[in-house]
Amino acid sequence: MTDTVQPGPADVHSHEGESRRDFLTLTAGAMAGIGVICTAWPFIDSMQPAQDTLAAGAPIDVDISKVAPGQQIVVLWRSHPVFIAHRTADELKTLQDPKETAQLRDPNSEVLQQPDYAKNWHRSVKPEILVVVGICTHLGCIPEFQPQPGSEGPGWLGGYFCPCHGSRYDLAARVFQGVPAPYNLPVPPHHYLNDTTIRIGEDPPNSTFDLNDVEQI
Amino acid sequence: MRRLALAAAAALAFAMPAFAQDESEPPLPHPSWSFDGIFGTFDRAALQRGFEIYDQVCSNCHSMNLLHYRDLSALGYSEDQIKAIAAQKQTTGGPNDQGEMFQRPAQPADAFVAPYPNEQAARAAHNGALPPDLSLIVKARAGGADYVYGILTGFENPPSGFKMNDGMQYDEFFPGHQIAMPQPLTDDSVTFADGTKATLPQEAHDVTTFLAWAAEPKMEERKETGAKVLLFLLVMTGVLYAAKRKIWADIHGHA
Amino acid sequence: MANQATHGKPVSQSKIVRWIDHRLPMFTFMQHELNEYPTPRNLSYWWNFGSLAGITLVIMMTTGIFLAMQYDPNVNDAFNSVERIMRDVPWGWLIRYIHMNGASLFFIVVYIHIFRGLYFGSYKEPRELLWMLGVVILLLMMATAFMGYVLPWGQMSYWGATVITNLFSAFPGVGSDIVTWLWGGFAVGNPTLNRFFSLHYLLPFIIVGVVILHLIALHQHGSNNPLGIDRKGPQDSIPFHPYYTIKDSFGLGVFLIIYALLVFYWPNLLGDPQNYIQANPLQTPPEIVPEWYFLPFYAILRSIPNKLLGVCAMFGSIITLFLVPWLDTSRVRSAFFRPVYKWVFWVLVFDCLVLGWVGAHRPEGIYVIEGRLATIYFYLHFYILMPLIGIFERPLPLPTSIAEAVLKKHPAAPAPASAAMGRH
Repeated sequence: MTDTVQPGPADVHSHEGESRRDFLTLTAGAMAGIGVICTAWPFIDSMQPAQDTLAAGAPIDVDISKVAPGQQIVVLWRSHPVFIAHRTADELKTLQDPKETAQLRDPNSEVLQQPDYAKNWHRSVKPEILVVVGICTHLGCIPEFQPQPGSEGPGWLGGYFCPCHGSRYDLAARVFQGVPAPYNLPVPPHHYLNDTTIRIGEDPPNSTFDLNDVEQI
Repeated sequence: MRRLALAAAAALAFAMPAFAQDESEPPLPHPSWSFDGIFGTFDRAALQRGFEIYDQVCSNCHSMNLLHYRDLSALGYSEDQIKAIAAQKQTTGGPNDQGEMFQRPAQPADAFVAPYPNEQAARAAHNGALPPDLSLIVKARAGGADYVYGILTGFENPPSGFKMNDGMQYDEFFPGHQIAMPQPLTDDSVTFADGTKATLPQEAHDVTTFLAWAAEPKMEERKETGAKVLLFLLVMTGVLYAAKRKIWADIHGHA
Repeated sequence: MANQATHGKPVSQSKIVRWIDHRLPMFTFMQHELNEYPTPRNLSYWWNFGSLAGITLVIMMTTGIFLAMQYDPNVNDAFNSVERIMRDVPWGWLIRYIHMNGASLFFIVVYIHIFRGLYFGSYKEPRELLWMLGVVILLLMMATAFMGYVLPWGQMSYWGATVITNLFSAFPGVGSDIVTWLWGGFAVGNPTLNRFFSLHYLLPFIIVGVVILHLIALHQHGSNNPLGIDRKGPQDSIPFHPYYTIKDSFGLGVFLIIYALLVFYWPNLLGDPQNYIQANPLQTPPEIVPEWYFLPFYAILRSIPNKLLGVCAMFGSIITLFLVPWLDTSRVRSAFFRPVYKWVFWVLVFDCLVLGWVGAHRPEGIYVIEGRLATIYFYLHFYILMPLIGIFERPLPLPTSIAEAVLKKHPAAPAPASAAMGRH
């Protein structure tokens, strides 16, 4: 089918008419484009976490009175496992041993994986109690708590061992060199309501630290 | 074109669900609502007073399972106020490490604590009648806010000769006029925190405003967005019409 | 397929475009179907509704897919998941209201599109299959809408599903087995809801397939036009682009304004408040009413006091649509030139509105006789009036060509130019 009428003689269209028409179609097209983008935005935004999901990420209070020295408990916060480990005095000593720290990638916690109140040699508020997010910074498996010296080979002073690809962390959850994981385990915002209760997910009054600020969970 | 308009009007007339309103029924009251109309908004003070009424009176029998305490921030309450409001109610938590459920104060993330654990308990407490959940009541009744206001202010003595069933109350606007709910509100049923005089019409107005918000918390956002969208569409359609006329000018034989 | 349009104009100077087009001729296709496709020059705004229907389909599928990301098809959670969408999901209320009101607008647009076809004889030779494919699309839409309405699991969702699925028990012998099979249980319940969700997601894609067939059938012979006479030559046609692309765009703008008014200001106008009550299998609502677009069929169903015959009458009304190309015996397509049929058509429109009105009310009092008369008239129109009028009516003289008719109305319209290269 090739029969179509072509519009009339050229003199019907003044140059002004043509450019006005082009202006109109250009404006219409631009507005339609803006309209499409403005319409697409709510759909894309609807996939963000909903209000109830965000609310479910509220802080949790954990009673640590029953966690004996040398033990660890695991709680869930924002669907992340959080390790709360009670370190013994001997274990704390190993954290400052230069032979040990020499093997670490980031012994002084230079990389932002913890709030300022946990940027110290024990990476916590109270030295005995370690609070870290138990997700290996390599590819997301949950590392095993292996506090016994020697349990992961000679020279193992205690720490975390990830079974998926062999990454190792010390008892302050600092990552060793020579393993696939790049960063120390992150420390979540937390503070003590009293001696036996930690609130995970909330900073102490003078700090504003969000877990999303860290280099990598 | 006129035929089109006629057909459209007739279509719209029957398109709305016809709730066969008996001719002898009194018309619903029509108080002025702040949220009526295309520019309607929720009066925050009324919402807070309405919530107080729900909290102190209605929540003893009626659940609002679709609302969470965190939603109350839309009423203008602060985070601390909401934590305090929630903490006044006990809800089930757990299981603890012994595997037992326990009672704990509610938190902002929790849904409004229901007065009864399940429907059967609610019916048992009310001679078999179930106080309906109020989360959507304004949208779930023909007449909407006017109907709810009518129910609350419509309690009166039955006209002479009207036979009341046992345990029922006469209400002017309830279908069939016999409602199982005893009159919930009278003058001074509550003392408002902001000092507003708690007459029955005031209370009914405020709690209905609160219930209207509860049924659709996003109403204001909806109308606001609507204004912007319609403005945009009107302009764009105007431009499209002008473009259409221009493009068709040579076919229609005029410049 | 040559890389050149039949006018001899290359599709594009761009090397990339020509590389793609040589391997997958999408640009030649677009050029042919949009820039060159000859369309009658006299199409009125009644011809906008086809494209509006297509766009509404896209809107429904898009909003539906995003709703499906959040919806939970389990009887215990479905109602709450929809309210979660309305309250907690960012923009959830908007996506839900667009989808909910889009269903109504889809039917408004399609019903107008169908009545346009009836008035202008668009179902007549050679467009019979085009018409029948359209009726198939309507049936698929009705099934999709019916199942979609069940998903929020409100009182009307549940009881509407119960009433309509129970219809199938009317079939003698195997009826109740069919119903049990449809339900997947002893009543409408979780298995029913889950399968309705699955099928509600599937059917629109089948609709897309049938729409494509519908468009292929359309493009075989091109659009009908208000005069109902064939295009005779180039003076009768104009290219689809830019004339009808811009006209359709303008029509879309008007449509979106109406859509936006509904969504943002009267989102529950066409709905039933009862569906904001969670489904309760132990409490039937005082009136079970389907959504407005099903009301005429509901009225036909209830007009016959026999269950099986009522079902047959209802389905029969749609089967009747399939037969229209053969029921109409007129040699003339468009009602413009059919002085008797023109008025009878509007009586049909009125009859359908009456059927809808009846369907919205309880079947008692005056509505009973109204419904029966309107149902009788419906069948009368198609099986008696349409065939007879076609035979006995004296149509008005047809114009010799579209261009001639247009010129009579608009003497200033340009005389046809010789076929030239396409407009830049």
